[in-house]
Amino acid sequence: MSIILPDRRYGLGLLDAWREINWPLIMLLSLIAGAGVATLYSVAGGSWSPWAANHILRYVIALMALFVCGFVPLRYWLALAYPAYFFVLFLLLLVPFIGEVSMGAQRWITLGAVRVQPSELMKVALILALARYYHGLEFKRVSNPIFLVPPLLLIAMPVVLIFKQPDLGTALMVAASGFAVILLAGLSWRVTIVGVIAAFVGAVTAIKMGLLKAYQIKRLTAFMDPDSDPLGSGYHLTQSKIALGSGGLAGKGFMEGTQSQLQFLPEKHTDFIFTIFGEEFGFIGAMVLLALYFAVFITAANIAMQAKSHFGRLLAMGLAVSFILYVLINTGMVMGLAPVVGVPLPLVSYGGTVMLTVMISFGLVMSTWINRDQDTLRTASTVSSL
Amino acid sequence: MRLEPFDTQRHMVFSRRATVFGGGASLLFLGLGARLYQLQINDHDNYQALAEDNRFNQKIIMPLRGEIFDRFGKAVATSRQNFQVLMVPEDAGDVERVLREVADVLGLDQKELARIRKEAARQRSFTPVSIADNISWDQFARINFLAPRLPGLRSEVAATRDYPLADSGAFVVGYVGAPNERDLEQATSDETKLLLRQPGFRIGRAGIERRFDEKLRGEAGSVTVQINAHGRVIEEYPNLADQPVQGQPIGLTIDAELQEQVSKILAATNDDANRNTDHHEMSASAVVMDVHNGDILVYASVPAFDPNEFNVGIRQARWKELNESELKPLLNKPIGGAYPPGSTFKLITAIAAQEAGIEPAHKVTCRGSLWYGGVEFNCWKKEGHGRLDMRGAIKQSCDVYFWDLAQRIDIDKLAEVARRFGLGTIHDIGLGGQVAGTVPSREWKKKYYRSNPAQQTWFPGETLSVAIGQGALTTTPLQLAVMTSRLATGREVHPRLVRYLDGASQPVPNFAPLPMDLQELDVVRSGMDAVVNEWGTAARSRLENPEWRMAGKTGTSQVRSLQYDPVTGRRLKNYELPWKERDHALFVSYAPYENPRYACAVVVEHGSSGSGTAGPKARDIMRAVLTKDPAKIATYVPKPGDFKTVLDKRQRREG
Repeated sequence: MSIILPDRRYGLGLLDAWREINWPLIMLLSLIAGAGVATLYSVAGGSWSPWAANHILRYVIALMALFVCGFVPLRYWLALAYPAYFFVLFLLLLVPFIGEVSMGAQRWITLGAVRVQPSELMKVALILALARYYHGLEFKRVSNPIFLVPPLLLIAMPVVLIFKQPDLGTALMVAASGFAVILLAGLSWRVTIVGVIAAFVGAVTAIKMGLLKAYQIKRLTAFMDPDSDPLGSGYHLTQSKIALGSGGLAGKGFMEGTQSQLQFLPEKHTDFIFTIFGEEFGFIGAMVLLALYFAVFITAANIAMQAKSHFGRLLAMGLAVSFILYVLINTGMVMGLAPVVGVPLPLVSYGGTVMLTVMISFGLVMSTWINRDQDTLRTASTVSSL
Repeated sequence: MRLEPFDTQRHMVFSRRATVFGGGASLLFLGLGARLYQLQINDHDNYQALAEDNRFNQKIIMPLRGEIFDRFGKAVATSRQNFQVLMVPEDAGDVERVLREVADVLGLDQKELARIRKEAARQRSFTPVSIADNISWDQFARINFLAPRLPGLRSEVAATRDYPLADSGAFVVGYVGAPNERDLEQATSDETKLLLRQPGFRIGRAGIERRFDEKLRGEAGSVTVQINAHGRVIEEYPNLADQPVQGQPIGLTIDAELQEQVSKILAATNDDANRNTDHHEMSASAVVMDVHNGDILVYASVPAFDPNEFNVGIRQARWKELNESELKPLLNKPIGGAYPPGSTFKLITAIAAQEAGIEPAHKVTCRGSLWYGGVEFNCWKKEGHGRLDMRGAIKQSCDVYFWDLAQRIDIDKLAEVARRFGLGTIHDIGLGGQVAGTVPSREWKKKYYRSNPAQQTWFPGETLSVAIGQGALTTTPLQLAVMTSRLATGREVHPRLVRYLDGASQPVPNFAPLPMDLQELDVVRSGMDAVVNEWGTAARSRLENPEWRMAGKTGTSQVRSLQYDPVTGRRLKNYELPWKERDHALFVSYAPYENPRYACAVVVEHGSSGSGTAGPKARDIMRAVLTKDPAKIATYVPKPGDFKTVLDKRQRREG
């Protein structure tokens, strides 16, 4: 058996890795974060505090995290996948005991000097774990119901914990990202359809049994008819649409948004930030921002396609899908196309853990890109001994 | 590339699936774009109109500040309507035109106009800018007449603090002012910060307003308002769970009516009290107490300032004028002015002497001076008083007699008695800026000269000065009133200024007898009676109604050493000296003599003579107090609904 193999199939030195950095991806992410800084500056009434300056700082720190994660060889990530998953799962378990309550939900825990939302970290950890699982699974077994049990468990455990916090939005998002990886791994459509029907029946039963709180159901359904209760659940939505709509083609101009400045939205610096952006920069600005997001997705998907290892492919694509899902749900939400659930707009919404999670996931994508030519993710010595 | 068969297969499936996902995402993005197009381009006009008509805002409703009232329920700090004019630059369009039109009506000068332009330029164009505050009803009516022609012009009625007593209540009630950066930093909650940032919000800066600021402040409420592009309120959605709560009412012990009368008496320059002087303006203070419960009925200090000026924002020139006046209108004299008590302190010396074993019958012959340590000490009466006992010495205020006593009393004993009667200590009545004065003793001197051990020794000669209320000894008018109350009752009377707080009348205090042989007080009281009613030093201060028999003691304290004519060597009379070098005039008194109810201390700065200036003023004050006899009138206790909780409905005019 030939053992003359190019170096890059087994991993690269740091210098080589640096040469391999995917700069367009970094550029796109920075442009989006820049849009976030500008909007946060405007939301604060033309002030760097309390959000804009912090946002820059957090982006710089998160960017360093991206580089660090990107330089870690992909085979290490393969080895780390399960430990990372169970570590984050452990953090999630801790939340009810040492978590801090914020806005009626317990989501935060303090690790040393840092306050983190384990539910956000789980978005990355789950995709890592599922990619690891399917990396080692023969294709013919993917649609075998028995081999579907472990991934479903991997998804269900964190989702239930997050749902209990309660954070319906994140729970649904984590679940959706997980299922995306299963589909990417090649689960047959037949099994998928059966699963979707089962999930639907399960969800209806859950609602009937009262697992969802009244406000959660109301928020989920309000987007279909926001005018039914203009000062209640649909209130944010109505105001959001007015702000966007009054922005027009070119927008009202930077810091000139009258609607958003009138403080009708309690979370205008987080979940509803796209509204402010859209009001001030108009249709043109909003489309440019959406295009940037789409470009990020395409870049990451392209990296997934070029990766030779199955782990890398699933990881990069899974993270790309998860990322774009957030963008679609958030922007869809403020436009009245999706339910009002607490989903931030990646890199633009104010929030440290989300920023860090997004950048770590692109660190993994970067690692996939740098190590794209390694197929088996084994070291040279292991290969040669085969 | 080396791929195993199953790997090739799953790679192909992955590529297909990824393409499906990519395609799906592209379609969804197209959907988002279409939706944005629909919202921002197609329906833009519709939403633009909605935006104009549909600005929801959360507005804070400021709480009304708690009322402060006197012992009979008369308001001394309350809220009144403040007529304001505001302008929304965005709606005004031509800001200059609006300013031209209103400048005449409101009498705005160039400086004011510059401020308005600056504010309008700095703020967001839809934020109202204050054009004028506290305008008259007449001006308000004329603005409302103009408003329909001038878009963006708004007139509003808000609440502002009002002090009906004006100058005569300034030092008790205090005043409010706009919060500054430091107040904002000290605010504990975001809610408080938001409240402090409200235009027109005021916090207590002095007096009772400051001490009880948190209680007076109340709690803010909120209302959701829907306003259109012109700032007009289309609809208000009152938040029933979040109504503003007015600050609590606070009741004072003072009698506002007497307070005003006494201020007039103190300030008067044309009464018989001024015949020794050149009718110089008065700088004086007086405290009247109910000796039974310590209630401060009158707390007067002249000249004062009008706290309403401070609330509105005082002009620089006016502030300078107040600050630089030699009459010290900003000094809270009853607690912040420390004066040598002069002969009024002889009452304390008389008690200390008895406790040092000297009988009231002890006699001394005054020949006009006393030699001590090789220095001649001159009695105020050059010719001498002749042979006097203790009562006679108080009546005549003979210095030689008390110098004789001073040689037999230890300074520490004298200091201890002085403290027992409330001198040299702070009496917390809820006002800031109080000084303790100085009661000299050996320990005090050691502390005072701690850096200079050579100066620390107490010399017996110094005790002579202190015994007649001079030397380092200083007291405040409030302390003198407390001293007199304690002399009159033999009880440890404590003064109080607040009688209704936290929704309840404060308990009437029951003062303990002073820890001493109360018979020592007899000669002092009898001597004070003689001062006024037996042709003593204050005979001219006698009250005509025999039921009002007033006992008192004069005091004339030197501000600096005696002055002599350089040519003739004659001692200069007070009225020959510049005002600032004249003696302070003091008078302490209580009445009625047999059944004491009121104690009064009067200090006239540079008033030249206790008997000539302070005594007659004290007489007039006591006459006013005894005529009304406020202690016999039932005090006021608020009932729910007595105070307005909401100011008259806010008005809003559309531009």
